[in-house]
Amino acid sequence: MSEVLLVDSVLLFLVTVCAVAIIEVRSLYAVAMLSSVYSLLMALVWTNMHSMDVAFTEAAVGGGISTILLIGTLVHTRRDEKPAKRRLHLPALLVTILTGAALIYGTFDMPRFGDPNATIHHYRVPEMMSQTVAAVSGREGKQQPPEGYEAPPRMTPTAAEWAGAIHAIDEAEDTLRAAQHGAPGLVDGEHHEGAAEEHHEGAHKHPVDDFNGHVPNSVTSLLAAYRGFDTMFETTVIFTAGMALIMLLRRRREEGEDDFSQRGATLSGQVILRVMTKMFIPFILVFGFYVITHGEIGPGGGFQGGVILATAFILYALLYGRNALYRIIRPRTLEVLAACGVLLYAGVGVACMLLGGNFLDYAALNAASPGDGEAMGMTLVEYGVGITVCTVMIIIFNQLAEEPSNPSRRRAGAKAS
Amino acid sequence: MTELLGIYNYWIYIILMMIGFYGVIAKANLIKQAIALGLFQTGIFLFYISMAVVDDGTAPIWTTVGDGAVKALGPYDNPLPHVLILTAIVVSVSVLAVALAIIINIKWSYGTIEYDEIAAIERATEREEGDADA
Repeated sequence: MSEVLLVDSVLLFLVTVCAVAIIEVRSLYAVAMLSSVYSLLMALVWTNMHSMDVAFTEAAVGGGISTILLIGTLVHTRRDEKPAKRRLHLPALLVTILTGAALIYGTFDMPRFGDPNATIHHYRVPEMMSQTVAAVSGREGKQQPPEGYEAPPRMTPTAAEWAGAIHAIDEAEDTLRAAQHGAPGLVDGEHHEGAAEEHHEGAHKHPVDDFNGHVPNSVTSLLAAYRGFDTMFETTVIFTAGMALIMLLRRRREEGEDDFSQRGATLSGQVILRVMTKMFIPFILVFGFYVITHGEIGPGGGFQGGVILATAFILYALLYGRNALYRIIRPRTLEVLAACGVLLYAGVGVACMLLGGNFLDYAALNAASPGDGEAMGMTLVEYGVGITVCTVMIIIFNQLAEEPSNPSRRRAGAKAS
Repeated sequence: MTELLGIYNYWIYIILMMIGFYGVIAKANLIKQAIALGLFQTGIFLFYISMAVVDDGTAPIWTTVGDGAVKALGPYDNPLPHVLILTAIVVSVSVLAVALAIIINIKWSYGTIEYDEIAAIERATEREEGDADA
């Protein structure tokens, strides 16, 4: 039995216990805390399954932001669940047991956990993996497709095709130079020749298989390239969620934006908390930027880094009040920045088109070295994601933490009726 | 034994999903329902990530050696499910946030976040409107 499965069974048992507790505990504050614990356990499960990026996201989002959002909501609502009439809801239990049994029956056809021959590990995986890392030395270490497996036609150019393309460009340049030499006086020949020579040398300095090693984290390269459209629209979903929150909960705009004096309870009386947190915030910010910037090299990326950056701001707001946060970033700036993140993502795609590639074909960003272009495009895109995620998380926090200063307009009507 | 343990992960994902499903059906508290929906989601996440695992696999991050060449360390886990779930987690927190905002609005409108109490208020309002029309 593999050690992955051993650790897995223990962790998953804890997760299940935690899930039952979340459903059964009546105090909603306890539920918020338990769901944080649940997410951290889940992050351990993901780590155990070598899914570092997912673990990172789960820890930042589930363990951090979700808990804050839940507690922010509980301030507005009741802290305890109403006691149920019956301990067990029998029809619900029956439905879930039946559905579960049907699903479990289905699992007997699933491939064994970790089976290298499972379909998912063969269909197009070699193509996806080689999208950015075209020529991987020591490739024999990877799983090979089974006998008789025919790879579907490759959509992205292989290293050999790139080599051919670069060679063709070189030849065209040579021809152009020869033509210019043949017809002196057409252009100012000497100057142009120098520039062309320089470019020529530059092209040769980069090895042909320049994809090699530029985006070592294949999760990020899939995220930004193979599933680039998906990621772009997920960013748009997050942006939309932020806008929805503003529409659902904003009421105070018209009362003068600059009057932030009333907003936000603070923990400023807690000296130890205040001093320690103030020391932590710069490190959190640096770590957030590190995670975004190194997304294509190690675990991390725009989603995780954006959430980490947001926690720094939310921590500040919790300690010093939201009026202090608004003095650093105005609500209007946050909204503009959230839109800018999505625009940066789409803008990189358009830039690729203008440079002659397809939409989000990052290799077009740097014709001399497609691998550098990929890395640059992905970093820019990750920053776009990071900016949107960070600002939307702060917006969501601000909106949920808004005091109900005009309580129950309709509630009064409902009670009266 | 190994055969059974091999599909243990899939069973846990079903159990988690069903715990969430039970919460959505059986609990009247709207916040509880939103959290239960989250449990259902993590069950699905677990299913995807479990499928990505390969025996003796490592995290799908290439290692660069000194001169910048890439070296494969051995079999890698499939990165595609990781990508899908990574974005799904962030979308799930957006969904949770919108749900909580709607719940707060419901609280402001009805004064409660218990589903049965809301239904009772709705019925009472409808009855009165019916009386007024008559």
